[in-house]
Amino acid sequence: MNIATVHSIIDDLGALLLFTMILIVAASQISRAIYAVATQSLFIALAGAVLATATGNVDLWVIAGITLIVKAMVLPWLLHWVVRRMDVKREVEPVIPDMATLALAVVIVVMSFHLSASLGSVRQSITGNALPVGIALTLNGVLVMATRKTALSQMVGLFAAENGIFFTAMAVTEGMPLIIEIGVILDVILAALVMTIMVLRVRSTVDADIADLDRLRG
Amino acid sequence: MSGDRTLLLVLFEMILLVLLGPLLTGIIQKLKARLQSRQGAGVIQPYYDLIKLLNKGTVQADTASGFYRSIPVLVLVATVAAGALIPVVRAGPPAFPLGDALMLLGLLSLARFLTAVSALDAGGAFGGMGASREMTIAPLVEPVLMMVVFSVALSAGTTELGALEAHRGSSWILSWNAADFLGLAAMLVLLPAETGRIPVDNPDTHLELTMLHEGMLLEHSGPGLGCMMLASHTRQIVTLGLAAALFFPIGPVDTGATGFLLGAGAFVVKILVLAVYLALVESSYAKLRLFQVPQYLGIGFVCALMALALRIL
Amino acid sequence: MAETLLWVLPLVPTVTALLMLTTRKRILLSCLDIAGSAVLTVLTLVLACEVTDGGPRSLGVFRVDDLGLIFLLLLAVLTLAVSIYTVGWLKQALEVGNMKADSLRSYFALVHAFVATIVVTILADNLGILWIAMEGTTITSAILIGYHGHHHGLEAAWKYIIVTTIGISFGLFGTVIIYAAASHVMGSASSMSWAAIMSVAPKLDPGIVRIGFIFALVGYGTKAGLAPMHLWLPDAHSQAPTPVSALLSGVLIKCALLAIIRFQTIAAAACGTEFPQQVLLVFGLISVVVATPFILAQHDLKRLLGYHSVEHVGIIALGLGFGGTIGTYGALLHVVNHGITKALAFFAAGTAIARYDTRDMQAIRGLLTVAPIGATLLMLAALSLAGVPPFSIFISELMVLRAGIGQGDWVSITIFLLMVVIIFAGLLHHAGAMVFGEPTAAASREPEARSPLLAMLLLAVIMIVLGLTIPASFDGHLKRATEVIVD
Repeated sequence: MNIATVHSIIDDLGALLLFTMILIVAASQISRAIYAVATQSLFIALAGAVLATATGNVDLWVIAGITLIVKAMVLPWLLHWVVRRMDVKREVEPVIPDMATLALAVVIVVMSFHLSASLGSVRQSITGNALPVGIALTLNGVLVMATRKTALSQMVGLFAAENGIFFTAMAVTEGMPLIIEIGVILDVILAALVMTIMVLRVRSTVDADIADLDRLRG
Repeated sequence: MSGDRTLLLVLFEMILLVLLGPLLTGIIQKLKARLQSRQGAGVIQPYYDLIKLLNKGTVQADTASGFYRSIPVLVLVATVAAGALIPVVRAGPPAFPLGDALMLLGLLSLARFLTAVSALDAGGAFGGMGASREMTIAPLVEPVLMMVVFSVALSAGTTELGALEAHRGSSWILSWNAADFLGLAAMLVLLPAETGRIPVDNPDTHLELTMLHEGMLLEHSGPGLGCMMLASHTRQIVTLGLAAALFFPIGPVDTGATGFLLGAGAFVVKILVLAVYLALVESSYAKLRLFQVPQYLGIGFVCALMALALRIL
Repeated sequence: MAETLLWVLPLVPTVTALLMLTTRKRILLSCLDIAGSAVLTVLTLVLACEVTDGGPRSLGVFRVDDLGLIFLLLLAVLTLAVSIYTVGWLKQALEVGNMKADSLRSYFALVHAFVATIVVTILADNLGILWIAMEGTTITSAILIGYHGHHHGLEAAWKYIIVTTIGISFGLFGTVIIYAAASHVMGSASSMSWAAIMSVAPKLDPGIVRIGFIFALVGYGTKAGLAPMHLWLPDAHSQAPTPVSALLSGVLIKCALLAIIRFQTIAAAACGTEFPQQVLLVFGLISVVVATPFILAQHDLKRLLGYHSVEHVGIIALGLGFGGTIGTYGALLHVVNHGITKALAFFAAGTAIARYDTRDMQAIRGLLTVAPIGATLLMLAALSLAGVPPFSIFISELMVLRAGIGQGDWVSITIFLLMVVIIFAGLLHHAGAMVFGEPTAAASREPEARSPLLAMLLLAVIMIVLGLTIPASFDGHLKRATEVIVD
């Protein structure tokens, strides 16, 4: 594959990633948000595979594979399992109105493009617009974590933010060293497990949703 | 002034759109019926409905003004005029001064405005409610559509659809850039709203709580209602044609008969694909509550804004 | 020898944790706990001697220099003290029903897993490993914070894991950006090693490093409890079991500061010392100012200590922000002093709370009558925290202040002094009311348990000794560590 093709494919994947991110931010049902984040991980894996073919970097193949299995399949499955297990009635519960969240998301995207302009010199020619997209995904993931009350939405936000960081790493350095990437994914899995356990524990011991926990103040 | 599309061709395309409009509605209804495991009416049922309506007499509310009778015709004219701006069988700029995509959107919103006025004029409660709902949603849809148009137009430097299509040539998905994807995403979100379908509106129901567009037509009858129906069929195919012209421009510039047939065939395929999309969306989603619609349209707005931002940045 | 120690050190708590999973007996678990901590302490001291003689050592992704050693020493001492304290605390907690006898081993194993992740954080040379270990501390400690399993504990744990994970995502992002800047310079030999990046740091693009540093500071600053990212801290510190509170406040937030210092040195080398210092100064001032009203108006004893940690992290950031040899030396000394003192304070508070069965300071009265030694220690800790001479915190605060005067940054100094004076008054008011007066009827008059007293005495002795004189060998570590940062 020549540079121009890779460039445009990564660009297009970036647009699709942004679209999935908007779906996550705007999702009013948790299961849709989970599907969106799974799709997003799938695109990240695709981007990794494309870069791997283009650069001949074997590490990237491994990372793409792990991303595909862990983030696009296992973790969404885990979330769906929790949804079924908990029989989630309360869906997303934003802290601020949905439209405000969406507006913030737009501001973040525009800011990311601005920010990446000042990061110009580390941008790799091969990955084109990947850097601002990565920044936007990370910040929007954080936005979702910060503006949602329910546990599952916050976990979805966490996965989206991690996706963004992975994409950024691909954009600027063709990925971090393999061992680090694996460690990061491992941490994400562990964090997801611990959060899941906590969600179930809150349900079983104090019979409440995470969203109801708001007694600690001052 | 030289151009690729002559007056004759444009007129022909316009009439073609008007004639095919009801057929498209019929196809979508049939597809929906099939997806819902029903037999469904035949695809030419909308034509029968139109003929039936045109042969009926008119009953008019006592409170309606004299202006009321002429509104259906005006709505139809505005919509059909909008149809003239869509390139159907051939890309390229027109040979004579013709409006652009903004004109198209303007004509469509003029038609919408007139419809709402007529609904208020008739004085019925449902008409007024439908009009107010329609006018709540329209200001959310139209600017976004305009942004989508701009995001594509920026790449070509023109908002004239024929020229735009010619500029983009036979480009296919691989040569798309990021803005195109986001623009298309926004368009796909908006299409059900602009064509008055689920999840924003429900064209099949006359239940007072759910209808938007249909509510405004309640007081019309006979040929007037026929004109309104024909206008909404045309509006639907024009909107799909706009989406096709913006995002799937495969109109050949070849002026021969083969080029003509190829262009017509391509147009039919594009419209059918979008029709299938609409039918799928209608069958798989429930109608949103009215106050959830702005959030749904917000997705489209954000996508369009980002498409625009990506083009500019 | 020293290189071997580098991979043995993280293994010690890991192995201890695994061994603990094999038994359910409380006595055996406590013995293992103390033994593991003691081994860790001894090995750390050996490593300290080795580094004094032979300078920094590195092995793979691990590296130890004097800077890391200071934090490692603090960790070892506190772990040992916590282990000793736990013996008596656990007995009491089991009687009251705060802990359940059948889940003890998982508690002990988690504490040591937590310690293991902290050790890796301190020893990590690779910035990626640093991040991974830091997230590891979040995961292990989140379970510990919610260990009691009641409503408040679980809420604090959830808040903790979400807020710090959000923060730490920024940290990873900053790491990636700095790594990108470095690999741009290093080319094919790129690595995430801090030492390697430091060696090319002056050649890095200042603009990019600046952005990376901000992200890293916000990220690890969340974990360190710098305001305005401190939201999780008072909740987590007040709801966790007391030994865990001591570890969180004494060591964990200091390790996040170590990570910040690592990034600060890179940023200082790439874009001058001015920029990172200014940023740290701002965050430090915000922390000190934000903590003050909450300390004054607080009723919950452990929450008070939590907000107090925010203030002291702010003071450390101020020390780093004023910079120079004195400021940096003072900041590092403050890390140790505050770690030791705060752990002591949490221990003393924990026993007082157990005695009165409430955390409301207005309900705790006359501690001196019912538990004279514990009350004295609580008063000592409060005096030290407030910055009274001759305790150690006074010395380090004075150094930070001196550095500020040297910089001529009068606005910061005024705010800093004002807040310290207000907090001084507030804290002594709270502590005095608890210690003196007539004990309430609810107070238990049981004799004081020995092991918590032993742990507290150990810390109190260190606290007082450090206030009177700084041992020469420790002074050497501090000086060399200061050189690492200031150069």
